[in-house]
Amino acid sequence: MNRPVQVPDDLARGIGRRGLLTGMGAIAAAGLLGGCGSGGGDGARRFRAAFAAGGSQETMDPHVAPNFVDQVRAKAMFDTLATFGDDMSIRPRLAESWESDASGKRWRVRLREARFHDGAPVTAEDVLFTYRRVADPGTGSPSQQLMSAVDFAASGASGPRELTLVLKEADFGFPRALAGVGTEVLPTGTTSFRNPVGSGPFRFGSFTPGGPALFKRWDGHWDTVPRVAELEIVPANEEAARVNALLSGQVHYAADLAGAAVNRLKGEKSARLLSAPRATAQQILLSRGREPFSDLRLVEAFQLGIDRAALARIALAGQGEPGNDLFGKGLDGYPADLPPRERDADRARALVREAGADGLEVPLQTSTLDAAWEPAAALIARQLGEIGLKVVPHTLAAPTYFSEMKERRSVAAFNTTSTLPVTTFLEQRLRGGAARNLTGFASGEFDELLDRARTTRDDAARAELLHRAQRIARDESGLVVWGFSDANDAISADVRGLRAAPPNSHDWARFDRVALG
Amino acid sequence: MGRYTARRCLLAVVQCLVVLVAVFALGTLLPGDTAGVLLAEQGTPEQVAALRERLGLDRPAPDRFGDWLGGLLTGDLGRSLLTNVPVAAELGRRLTDTLVLAAPAFVLVVTLAPLLGVVTGLREGTRLDRLLNAAAVLLHAVPEFVLGLLMIASLSLATGLLPATAVGLNGTALLAQPAVLVMPVAVLAARQLCDLARQIRAGVAAQRDAPLAEHLRLLGMRERTVVLRHVVPNALGPAAQQFARCVEGLLGGAVLVEALFGVQGLGTGFVEAVQNRDVPLVQAYALLFAGTAVAVHLAGDLVSHRLAPRREVTA
Repeated sequence: MNRPVQVPDDLARGIGRRGLLTGMGAIAAAGLLGGCGSGGGDGARRFRAAFAAGGSQETMDPHVAPNFVDQVRAKAMFDTLATFGDDMSIRPRLAESWESDASGKRWRVRLREARFHDGAPVTAEDVLFTYRRVADPGTGSPSQQLMSAVDFAASGASGPRELTLVLKEADFGFPRALAGVGTEVLPTGTTSFRNPVGSGPFRFGSFTPGGPALFKRWDGHWDTVPRVAELEIVPANEEAARVNALLSGQVHYAADLAGAAVNRLKGEKSARLLSAPRATAQQILLSRGREPFSDLRLVEAFQLGIDRAALARIALAGQGEPGNDLFGKGLDGYPADLPPRERDADRARALVREAGADGLEVPLQTSTLDAAWEPAAALIARQLGEIGLKVVPHTLAAPTYFSEMKERRSVAAFNTTSTLPVTTFLEQRLRGGAARNLTGFASGEFDELLDRARTTRDDAARAELLHRAQRIARDESGLVVWGFSDANDAISADVRGLRAAPPNSHDWARFDRVALG
Repeated sequence: MGRYTARRCLLAVVQCLVVLVAVFALGTLLPGDTAGVLLAEQGTPEQVAALRERLGLDRPAPDRFGDWLGGLLTGDLGRSLLTNVPVAAELGRRLTDTLVLAAPAFVLVVTLAPLLGVVTGLREGTRLDRLLNAAAVLLHAVPEFVLGLLMIASLSLATGLLPATAVGLNGTALLAQPAVLVMPVAVLAARQLCDLARQIRAGVAAQRDAPLAEHLRLLGMRERTVVLRHVVPNALGPAAQQFARCVEGLLGGAVLVEALFGVQGLGTGFVEAVQNRDVPLVQAYALLFAGTAVAVHLAGDLVSHRLAPRREVTA
């Protein structure tokens, strides 16, 4: 039900708090719904996709895009300069190319030829206007930090399709910012989003906050001219409503499905699951700044005491895999060569005793925000009970989970993070003193490795520095990544042109390539 | 009658006020606020504090309540903390969807319930009565959620007779495709219908055999007149209050039905407002629900007072 506002770049949380038609028996039902049944050929049809809405906290402003559904609307109407592959590597989009000088501070970006929906060309000035707006704290963009690294006084356009972005500090990883959610290019001077203009594959049709959004195919897109005439994003906060709408042919796409719905759809001929493996990192945040986990022995005991295979099998209902205490398995920059962390109850018990913590009570904050958390909390309590820690789960309300968890300064709490570039995660969540560093991890050595990586031009050398940083974080940060869960969407059997991809990546919910029938 | 009405009206206003104060107090006591919901994981303490100040959440609760009440007296319900959309607009949009569901359900209930109640009440103990009564008990025993799921599975997914949900439709678009309303209206009406029909049945049955009716029959009054002039009015009097509860039930019971069928009505809107700690919106919903409940109960009392004036003693 109304998913609460989500963190912009961690959209995977189910929160908030997310094909129809073709379905056999569904055709009759489709006839009853004007939106679906009518239309002859492939290109004439309206594609309908159901998402959990943020209620009315929604706007067409692409720079303020806290929920999955906002991101999907932004994707339809706008373009970014770059985009993310499935492994979060950077790929060009509106930008044809980018390159830095030897200092890593001056970035020259060349744009491809593209037009806005009103026919005006996309220019370097538009990009500068956009990035200034993103960097303005008043805009409230999730990418504000990425763009506040730019010195706009020193940056400028050197032609209609060429610009130089000057950074305040060297950063050879800067192209990540060009692909960030919330950096979609707007025409210079945009202040209102009542009738927004973008350069994406769909034009604006209509939008009611909390209600449906309608987009129309734009024939002038530089990359993909959509194969469907219209795209409609409809809100359906209940998972059951999304699934039923899909199975009865009322929508072609149902986003963000979990456990029971996934199993139900596995047996359906009229629908197909799109499962992106490992899309969500399941974590427990152990507070390094305070007792008892300021004692590294207890962090290690926690890591060795939990049974990750059992957690993946039971709490993730088999739709996921064990984690290795690092974010981003399978992503660009993840150190894949590390051996998996296995349960070692004897060693864990010895560490607990050594730390003088036998029988210690550890409150663990959890919530219904993610379906896996409560079963995981129960399992972890049992597993750690065997090593002498008394874990007591506390369930908090889903919409206010994060603010409560922070206010109560929990010592142990659940968290999830959707697919993000590994470096973004390290910078935002693990650097000492970072705003979203929730474990209080502060390691001079780790921070220094990140700094060196940032100013290292050579890709292989940079990767090596980041691997070293991650090895430190794995043991000391207090961030226990116990598993990775799949992200599931479903489509009706007659939908073509869509494949499974992790949320936040380019190909996820990419409706400009969709065809029906 | 006039004094009775005035006293009941005054009481109604006081009741509304008590509800508003209680809702505001409870909302203030709930952990978290809109600033925390909006910023979720990414807010730093400074950002949260700044947002709180901008939303006026840093001010003392009595001040905020006073302001809201002052606005209310001038007809201004304020704006949603979350979206800055006027509360009245949000409420209006959701009220439309709920009315589209609740109005047909209400019509269904108030026409069918007396019919079934009177028919079965006059034939108490016959096969027809037992059959209908068993059906009513059964229907009442099935939770609305389950009933909805069963209907979707059988009438939509298995047979394709009806659309499974109203996903993507709002307000008049719902009316334009009445097929989507069939199941939600049926589920919404089912429980109220059972409740009301059974109550009327019991009243009719009791009145049919009451000393008054027997007396009138002994006096030679025709059975038809006894039933229409005495049995039915005396049975409907107490049921008037059940009618009132039925309106309340239709509004309140809509939460499940709306969620299941993807309708964006008052029920789901209220739940979302509470979850988002959107106080002005929560207050407006509370006012609307409390006002409706108090008004229909008032109407119910006045009607039953009229149908059976001696009840004033206990009112």
